[in-house]
Amino acid sequence: MRIGVYVCHCGGNISEVVDIKEVVSFAGKLPDVVVARDNEHMCSEIGQQMVINNISEHKLDGVVIAACSPQFHEETFRQVVSKAGLNPYMFEMANIREHCSWVHASEPKIATEKAKELVAMAVAKLKLNEPLVKKSISLGNRVLIIGGGIAGIQAALDLADSGFHVYLVEKEPSIGGHMAQLSRTFPTEDCSACILAPKMADVAAHPNITLYAYSEVKNVRGYLGNYEVTIVKKPRYVNMDKCIACGICAEKCPVKVIDVNDFEAGLIPRKAIYIPHEFAVPHKYVIDEKNCLYFTKGVCRVCEKFCPHKAIEFDQKSVEETLKVDTIIVATGYEIFDARKKEMYGYGRFENVLTALQMERIIVNIVKGNPPRDIGKRIAFIQCVGSRDEQIDRLNCSRVCCMYAIKLSQLLKRMNPEREVCVFYIDIRAYGKGFEEYYLRAQETGVRFIRGRVAEIYEKPDKKLVLRVEDTLTGDPYEMEFDTVELSVGMVPGEGTNKVAELLKIPKSPDGFLQEAHPKFRPVDTLTDGIFICGCAQGPKDIPDTVAQASAAAARAIRLMNKKKYEIEPTKAMVIENLCDGCGICVEHCAAGAIEISGGVAKVIEALCRGCGRCVAYCPREAIVVRHYTPSQILAEIEAALSNKQKGESRVLVFADYTCTYRLADSVGTSRMPYTASARIIRVPSGALVTPQLMLKAFELGADAILIGECEQKSSPFLNSVECISDNVERVRKVLKEKGIEPERVKYAEFVTVMLSRFVKEVNSLSELTSRLGEIPAEKRKALSTAKA
Amino acid sequence: MKYSFFLGCIAPLRYPGLEAATRLLFKELGIELLDLKGASCCPAPGVFGSFDLWNWLLVAARNLSIAEEQNVDAMVICNGCYATLQEAYHLLGKPERLEAVNKVLSQIGRNYQRRTGVKHVVEVLMQKEVWDKILSLKKRPLGGLKIAVHYGCHYLKPSKVRGHESPETPYHIDNMVKDLGAEPVEYVDKLMCCGAGGGVRSGNSDEARQFTLTKIENARKAGADLIVHPCAFCHFQLDTGQQELLDQGLLKEPLPVILITQLIGLALGMKPEALGLNLNKIPHNYLSRL
Amino acid sequence: MKTLYACIQCGTCSGSCPAGRYTNLRTRLIVRNIQLGLRENVLGSDDLWACTTCYTCQERCPRNIMITDIVRVARNIAFEEGHAKKPHLYVAHMFINTGHSIKFADEHRKLRESVNVSSVPPTVLSYPEAMEEISKLTELSGFKKKVLEREG
Ligand SMILES: Cc1cc2nc3c(=O)[nH]c(=O)nc-3n(C[C@H](O)[C@H](O)[C@H](O)COP(=O)(O)OP(=O)(O)OC[C@H]3O[C@@H](n4cnc5c(N)ncnc54)[C@H](O)[C@@H]3O)c2cc1C
Ligand code: SF4
Ligand code: SF4
Repeated sequence: MRIGVYVCHCGGNISEVVDIKEVVSFAGKLPDVVVARDNEHMCSEIGQQMVINNISEHKLDGVVIAACSPQFHEETFRQVVSKAGLNPYMFEMANIREHCSWVHASEPKIATEKAKELVAMAVAKLKLNEPLVKKSISLGNRVLIIGGGIAGIQAALDLADSGFHVYLVEKEPSIGGHMAQLSRTFPTEDCSACILAPKMADVAAHPNITLYAYSEVKNVRGYLGNYEVTIVKKPRYVNMDKCIACGICAEKCPVKVIDVNDFEAGLIPRKAIYIPHEFAVPHKYVIDEKNCLYFTKGVCRVCEKFCPHKAIEFDQKSVEETLKVDTIIVATGYEIFDARKKEMYGYGRFENVLTALQMERIIVNIVKGNPPRDIGKRIAFIQCVGSRDEQIDRLNCSRVCCMYAIKLSQLLKRMNPEREVCVFYIDIRAYGKGFEEYYLRAQETGVRFIRGRVAEIYEKPDKKLVLRVEDTLTGDPYEMEFDTVELSVGMVPGEGTNKVAELLKIPKSPDGFLQEAHPKFRPVDTLTDGIFICGCAQGPKDIPDTVAQASAAAARAIRLMNKKKYEIEPTKAMVIENLCDGCGICVEHCAAGAIEISGGVAKVIEALCRGCGRCVAYCPREAIVVRHYTPSQILAEIEAALSNKQKGESRVLVFADYTCTYRLADSVGTSRMPYTASARIIRVPSGALVTPQLMLKAFELGADAILIGECEQKSSPFLNSVECISDNVERVRKVLKEKGIEPERVKYAEFVTVMLSRFVKEVNSLSELTSRLGEIPAEKRKALSTAKA
Repeated sequence: MKYSFFLGCIAPLRYPGLEAATRLLFKELGIELLDLKGASCCPAPGVFGSFDLWNWLLVAARNLSIAEEQNVDAMVICNGCYATLQEAYHLLGKPERLEAVNKVLSQIGRNYQRRTGVKHVVEVLMQKEVWDKILSLKKRPLGGLKIAVHYGCHYLKPSKVRGHESPETPYHIDNMVKDLGAEPVEYVDKLMCCGAGGGVRSGNSDEARQFTLTKIENARKAGADLIVHPCAFCHFQLDTGQQELLDQGLLKEPLPVILITQLIGLALGMKPEALGLNLNKIPHNYLSRL
Repeated sequence: MKTLYACIQCGTCSGSCPAGRYTNLRTRLIVRNIQLGLRENVLGSDDLWACTTCYTCQERCPRNIMITDIVRVARNIAFEEGHAKKPHLYVAHMFINTGHSIKFADEHRKLRESVNVSSVPPTVLSYPEAMEEISKLTELSGFKKKVLEREG
């Protein structure tokens, strides 16, 4: 190979500490290095031009620049070498400013030696670099949206209006989700159905939306730009083209069904053939086969006889359809908490204990002049049922219950001021725009707010309910009687959300809802490019927040698809096929689902691979590597870092992930915080790439301690990398112990970029440890050569 | 099937009928009950647990160690004894704690390894083969009897340690009552404490009686003829406590109280006197109807 | 065990507490006073001894705070600091002397005989060596000393 090495003075920043001449002459003597030069400012026009000229003059096929941190100029220099016709990956930087001159300013001799070694490390790695090219995937304009609540509807309309084609899949017979069931919406008291119904109709009419109602996603394969989706359309037993929704069938159907999961929340019976509600989309009837006499007992078929349009088709079967889409938005919403689990409130046992959704329906039907039951004069609301409660493992606040209780309670009170309406609460959380004002209005309407979580309810023989509660503001326990009790049930992730999470491998946060890629900056992305989430599937929220997220998800999907193509970084996993025996262990460990076994060997789906290196750590045959960070490349750096170690010196190898730890080490340099000169920082995408075998090799070759610095998991772009690192470190420690070497010589730490002094402390303490423990005896190091972790 | 019968204090010293009925029933069922020889007070969870938890744990471990020597589980007929022995068993699951306890026990020549633990009599009776046998031996129909079940506290709670059914809606004893041919009745505050626990009976007997009064009145309102329960200490409070309420003129119509093993004994045709029902302060006036 | 600093003062415990219906016991305030470091409000109050340890509060606390167990621990400290009631000391004394927490007299022996069980139960009462063990145990645990001190 023909390599050029360029050492930067950085206007004194480096040269005032490091002896540049010595480094240049050292570099010039390294094998394969054909030119070695220095310059005041390598990043200047003159410096850049020198590199370009040299590449052609000396026919260089690799370049090392020893200067500042790659986080500032790696991209600049990659472009420089490309201009001269070199592949940008045939280039390495040695960070002799942040990681050397700035942190060892008081020890110029040692700093110069270290700078030489850092250059040697970069050269050693470069020799194993290979030209890499970014692949690109072409992107079309097809989007799958799963879930047809207000979140799915909003995202679908935004995308369709922007010219993208939407496939909207809804598991229920109609779209609309929970919003369709609500009476009015807080805090403005818009009629929920009135504002939702037109949007639902728009979905049905939009030329860019294909609606799959009463359908589910069965399987998803592929990746961004290349998803293959299998959809199952459940049989309605009613021909969608023929049915005109006249309703004669339902009139004649003899079966009455009461189901709390229905639109009317079990308060009003429907028939076995039914339409969910008057503004359902699609506006077609459907047969509920769980209750239809024909399906349960093989008799009846009355609807078929009476249907004037011959729309009933008992022989319908479920149909599968395959779609190709480019991006996916998950909008599967929530389910209400199953109040039967809070046995002390008697839901399901006491007939006058209702859920909030039932109260919504009661209010709608009272307004319609058709009250489904008598709710009496005294009504209690119990807050936080299924939220803020560790007894049932739901610590999170559901964020809407305070506000909907404030809404429902004052609607009831205003409808009939003689009603006594009490809301029992722990805290009232009226955090949104217009919310506190709305709370005040409820108070002024005469709703009583009592601070105390209801302890229990008992039912009297006349079915009235007695609540036991302490008014925590007076400290007195009370028994209070009510006609009806509403339970303000919280939101939980539903079965539908769980299924999709599993199908698409979307991780969940501790509350069970879908986990966004970053809580601040990527609130609707997932860690998989091309998959987005919005609405209550991501966590409890009200309609305005849901709609905002839905529009955001649409915009994020448009941002990708508008470019028409997507470039994949080349630094992804790669299978060495002749070593792979197709055991599938990597498939199991890949959190991104990016590996599949086909034709007896593992295959990497590069668009899904994140390049974290978990697979590398677990592959028993060393048959999978991450390009540009292969074990041999990392090993070359390790060897170079150790080859010049003198007697009495020690080496602490610090593997720094490039999201956090490497930048952190840069900040330590910028802040001129000195630390031990025995540290050698090696940059990796994730510490997971430092396999147990590499660590053992490092000890064999002379390392005295190893620190793996990894980005704190929650800010990391990689899933479960910390778990993998901890596992790797454990494996190494076990071997060290067996071989009589102190296991505490290797450790890992989670960092964020502001932990400057912690970084210094960790590195220094390892260096102190090595001087306390002394040199590892040569025979023990040697014994590691045959060890396997 | 074999257990070591842990008597506690109330049953053997105040209501020996509870002990006698249990012995008779187990004999009939062919389940051997060994004597847990030299047992002491469990010691009571709410009283001794409130004074000095360390002493409480040591004494409990000593009691458990005796059954362990016999290679069987201890069996109790009192929720208090159950609370102490079961919780001690649970706490001693922590090796360091077990070691510390054994360090002291060794000085009185004892040792406990947690090889055996404790069973509540309800747990024993609930086992399918045992319950089937009981039903096959049924002789005296209890039809027409309305029974209010009082579960007591410590059989079910703390539920995370006990691990039985839900403490808000338990039903196993109700099902037993039903199986025996009587009718369980629902009443307000069914799951409320008898009032005696936690040293309240000894320290503040007025308070304890207020619990009792509420329970009895509620069970009465629901039409109960008697109260069945699984606990000697509840028995003491509910029976003696009612007599005290009568004496104070605070209660008009008392309700007889019966331990679950006594009720089963009745259903199996045993004589009320043999079961010690006559030793209760509140007379079992429903007996004439059977 | 969740620390009681997690308490949100919701009142589920005190609303559930049957003893609170007849006395001034407010478990919520016990937790609050401990949070605030107001020791005497807890240890010096008779309310602390009104709890029957029925565990209803603990079962329902939305923060999984082990309220009943905390009451017991607080009582241990109160006992140590001399807040024990007379009748409780009597029970403690009875145990230290007899191994049972209640008296066994002739009348009780007769009761036993009337239902055909051994006139003395096979407990410590029948085994003097067992009583010696108990006696030694209460000494080793320090309980005996504590009780005798309190009796003054
Ligand atoms: C009682 C109550 C009152 C409320 N009142 C108000 C209010 O006044 N104002 C306000 O702003 N907010 C209110 N909310 C909150 C409001 O309901 C939500 O913010 C909103 O409905 C969230 O919409 P979504 O689309 O995310 O979820 P959802 O409405 O739950 O819709 C999700 C949709 O996805 C479908 N789905 C689920 N899984 C799958 C799957 N695997 N495949 C296909 N389809 C699937 C579901 O069937 C459903 O149609 C209230 C909530 C409750 C419980
Ligand atoms: S066949 Fe089924 S849906 Fe049709 S009328 Fe009969 S029960 Fe109703
Ligand atoms: S129930 Fe728990 S959280 Fe609520 S006041 Fe009592 S201790 Fe605090």
